Amino acid sequence: MYAIFKREFLSYFRTPVGYVAAAIFTFISGFVFYSLFSTGFVSISNEIITLCSLFIVIVPIITMGMFAEDRKRGTEVLYYSTPVDLFSVVLGKFLAALALFLVMFINVFIHMIVVSACGGKIGIGAWGSVLVFFFMAALFISIGLFASVITDNQLISAIVSFVFIMVIQLISVIGTYLGTFVSTLFSYMGLSADKRNGARQAVQNAIGWFDPFAKTSDFRDGIFSVSALVFCISFAIFFLYLSFRILEKKRWSQK
Amino acid sequence: MIEIKNLVKHYGDKKAVNGISFTVKDNEILGFLGPNGAGKSTTMNIITGYLSSTSGTVKINGHDILEEPELAKKSIGYLPEQPPLYNDMTVSEYLTFMCELKGVPKKDRKEQIDMITSMVGIDAVTGRLIGNLSKGYKQRVGLAQALVGDPPILILDEPTVGLDPNQIIGIRNLIKELSKNHSIIVSSHILSEIQEIADRVVIIHHGKIAAIDTILDLSQRLSGTSKLLMSFKGPVKDVIARLKMISGISDAVVRNAGDLSEVEISLATKAVNDVRINIFFMMAKCGWPILEFRSLDPSLEEVFLSVTSS
Repeated sequence: MYAIFKREFLSYFRTPVGYVAAAIFTFISGFVFYSLFSTGFVSISNEIITLCSLFIVIVPIITMGMFAEDRKRGTEVLYYSTPVDLFSVVLGKFLAALALFLVMFINVFIHMIVVSACGGKIGIGAWGSVLVFFFMAALFISIGLFASVITDNQLISAIVSFVFIMVIQLISVIGTYLGTFVSTLFSYMGLSADKRNGARQAVQNAIGWFDPFAKTSDFRDGIFSVSALVFCISFAIFFLYLSFRILEKKRWSQK
Repeated sequence: MIEIKNLVKHYGDKKAVNGISFTVKDNEILGFLGPNGAGKSTTMNIITGYLSSTSGTVKINGHDILEEPELAKKSIGYLPEQPPLYNDMTVSEYLTFMCELKGVPKKDRKEQIDMITSMVGIDAVTGRLIGNLSKGYKQRVGLAQALVGDPPILILDEPTVGLDPNQIIGIRNLIKELSKNHSIIVSSHILSEIQEIADRVVIIHHGKIAAIDTILDLSQRLSGTSKLLMSFKGPVKDVIARLKMISGISDAVVRNAGDLSEVEISLATKAVNDVRINIFFMMAKCGWPILEFRSLDPSLEEVFLSVTSS
């Protein structure tokens, strides 16, 4: 697994991919930090939470070629014909992408140093947000990786992960809309207002349960919840395992 | 040693490989032939574990590729049709990566890479990016990759594609050299190449084995008798009449009808004894000079065509 991790991680810097992603991240995080700094009040947690919305752009850039590229250049055969375990290939690539995020995150660490040098405080909430950032990154990278496994085309893979991540980012809004839709449907069926509201609430809660942002929103205040982290990790493991199974299945079906 | 039994691979309704069985003995080179789409690459992919067979077994040195994949794959070096190369790595980075993938111990890596690069003749380019190399060099890096980990079995899918004649001879000699302590399966479109290096040949057609034997046995089995071609100067009818009197010659057919100053004639002989000496003395006695004499045993090309066109 280490061999795959090392190769993949270094390959981000042999191709423009790593630099493009890092440049976008550096620019946006710098801009956010500057905007906060100019108001005279910097909250590192706020900066990190804002940066979480960048996943939708950066993750597809990083993950779109993960497996699609291998198929294109014929290196996929190495994963199957050498003694290396297929799941460790998936894990190696996943960790390489996560490590790239760690490299990009150096920006935020620099911002932290600037803040404390100016007499600001880096509270427990800031560290909580850092934690959230990486768990969230793990979740979204696993989705991007999955998108890269299911298609041979990098563009399609990027679009699939983009849409997937967008859905997750907007999931609470989607839940609200679906709840309203259900209650409207029920009103046509002549149900009482109580039942309609109940149904709306139920739909909203059920869909909202999948919202990682809501689950981790307390971290910035220094209130940590293990269940939220377990949620992100299980989500990531689920997608990694799914990707692994699909790769295994390819041996049986591909031409 | 590779044992393949009853290999079947379906792609939907299409049977790409349909009941192939053969064995490759230790230190043997097996030539693998067949027209495009016959199932060569599919079979090779199954042997190396890249694809799974629908049914049938592949055993590498006694290890089943599906049941003990790690042990089986450790024994195989595979050069696929398209060499699995990362264009963004240098040759030495890439070979080190392959050592890591194949679990070569750290202390042996440098020595092994040095040995392999000089063996396949890429030691001059180890510091260069693979993407910047010519096709011939890329092919050789692919071959080097297959040799990493010193596997006892090599599966080479068209190893000499894209090489110039000198390099082809070099790689051919290397394969021969390797066969002293490796079992090798080589597929190639260049039949003369297979004829040159392979101990035995498997010809597959429509996913089935059409022929499997040594090249000599194959060509003799195909023709039944061996054929000679002779050209000479002299009266055609007389020559044919006298030739037919020589024991061992069953037929004589004139091949050129036009200019009879130099006649070409093909003779069917029962390959038991060499009739050439008798023919020579007979022709010399009559004063009819022989201009050319050669054996017409079918080449691998002809064997291939006759086996795959039926």
